[in-house]
Amino acid sequence: MALTFGALTRPSAGSEVRAPSRHRTIGLSLAAVGLAFATIGLINSVAAGDLARQGGQADQVGFLGAWSFGLTTAAFGTVKLAIGLILLGIVRHIWIRVESVKAALPGLIRSRATDSAALGEFDSEFGPATATATAPKPLLIHRLAGLMWAPMLAMGVMLVYAGLLLSFAAAGNVAVDPALASSQQAWVQGVQFLGEGLLLSGISFLLGTILGAIRSGGGEVQESLGLTVKTLRMPLTAKLFIGLMMVGLMVEIAQFIGYAYIATVPGTADYATFSTFLGPLREFGLGALLSGIVLALATIAKALGFQFARITQIITSGR
Amino acid sequence: MSASPRSDYNVELSSRALGPNVPQRIGRLLWAPMLAMAVMAFPLGFVIAIARANLVANGGDTATIAALGHLGPAVMFVGFAAVFAAISFAIARILGVFRQGGGEVQESAGRRVQTLRLPPTAWAFIGLMAMAMMIILGGVIGNAVVGASIASGNADAFAQSETWAIWFEGVRRIGVALYLVAIALGLAAIIEALRFQAVRLRELPAESTG
Repeated sequence: MALTFGALTRPSAGSEVRAPSRHRTIGLSLAAVGLAFATIGLINSVAAGDLARQGGQADQVGFLGAWSFGLTTAAFGTVKLAIGLILLGIVRHIWIRVESVKAALPGLIRSRATDSAALGEFDSEFGPATATATAPKPLLIHRLAGLMWAPMLAMGVMLVYAGLLLSFAAAGNVAVDPALASSQQAWVQGVQFLGEGLLLSGISFLLGTILGAIRSGGGEVQESLGLTVKTLRMPLTAKLFIGLMMVGLMVEIAQFIGYAYIATVPGTADYATFSTFLGPLREFGLGALLSGIVLALATIAKALGFQFARITQIITSGR
Repeated sequence: MSASPRSDYNVELSSRALGPNVPQRIGRLLWAPMLAMAVMAFPLGFVIAIARANLVANGGDTATIAALGHLGPAVMFVGFAAVFAAISFAIARILGVFRQGGGEVQESAGRRVQTLRLPPTAWAFIGLMAMAMMIILGGVIGNAVVGASIASGNADAFAQSETWAIWFEGVRRIGVALYLVAIALGLAAIIEALRFQAVRLRELPAESTG
């Protein structure tokens, strides 16, 4: 399975450099589909709100609200899947760029230094770094990210769309069996937001895979030229990213357990109280995951800056 | 704006590396403050939710419960607006690193610097991001106004609380969807930058210096 995922993330060495990215095209198309779903959800919300304003029957408003929630959450899930596909395209193009650097750099070095740079730890413009004779092995977190992004995305999509189907069932039961509809709506919220959490975790693992590709690719290039391999040490933003990702995913699992409990007690005081609390809890979990993603992107910017500075140093000093 | 010297990519020629453009400089400055705002807003929204749940459990004042039902989402979605803005600014910062770093590599190699002009996906990213932020903040302001009206004893606002809640929830959700699509477009622009760099790098050794 690791080999299969490796083939997904790293194209073969002779891949056409000019070929357009299919992941980008498919991703943007999927994002448009998600936006269309969200627009339908908006129209539905306007209709439901108007019905409530005119004193419409509660079950009519409830019917619209039930499937609208499922569809809008599925819209978010679809666009997040699109983001995952585009990130996969980024990983592949990072490796294509690595091959271009390997091909071009020998012809750009102004003059080769006769001595190598000193080995050991040093402070770079971008933070602490290490200089080694050979490319360092991928960190555990990078290997984990390379394995986990696909299962997370797959599970996330399945749960989000399973919740969508359940939301249609719940909508159909609002008028005929309110207790069953309440129970189903609790499951819809719990299942769909666990799915959203898994999708964001999949996106986080893809960002980790990108960071691994930048680190490994940079090491490969320097080693192929017989130079001292300089590698940025894991910055604080990366460590915080991992922590926030774990917190967010655990909160989403907790909200799923909470909704699973209240699905068994529809119409009770517990249902009302926990419903009030679980909605913001799931949003808090998503907020933690998204905050982690910001830090991952900041780490990518730092790693790329270090890489460009290193390439420039190799060209000008040959060391 | 001068015509691009190549037909496959729309580029700008210069002798020195170009620095980040305005959106990229804004991204470099603002990603961290936006993240800080989000990190403060999310726990605050959660605390309001706990307070509301407590009132529901203990049979508290219905008007207060309704008001918190608007104020809580308002605060939480200030957080979402801020974190999505932080993600967008972080993407802009990455694009700035590609622009500046790619130029510096070409300059250090003594070649003419070709810098990719903003592709259509990047323009769409900026436009959609601005639209999404305004929509979400519109929903937040609406929720805050209704919540404050209910809390101050406005009976009409209390009577229409459910209607407003449904409408503003719809507005916030379309704003979130637009933000996510904007982020997808920003990431697509990164692919364009990577593709151009992979092509340009292979051209450099054969080009004459200066």
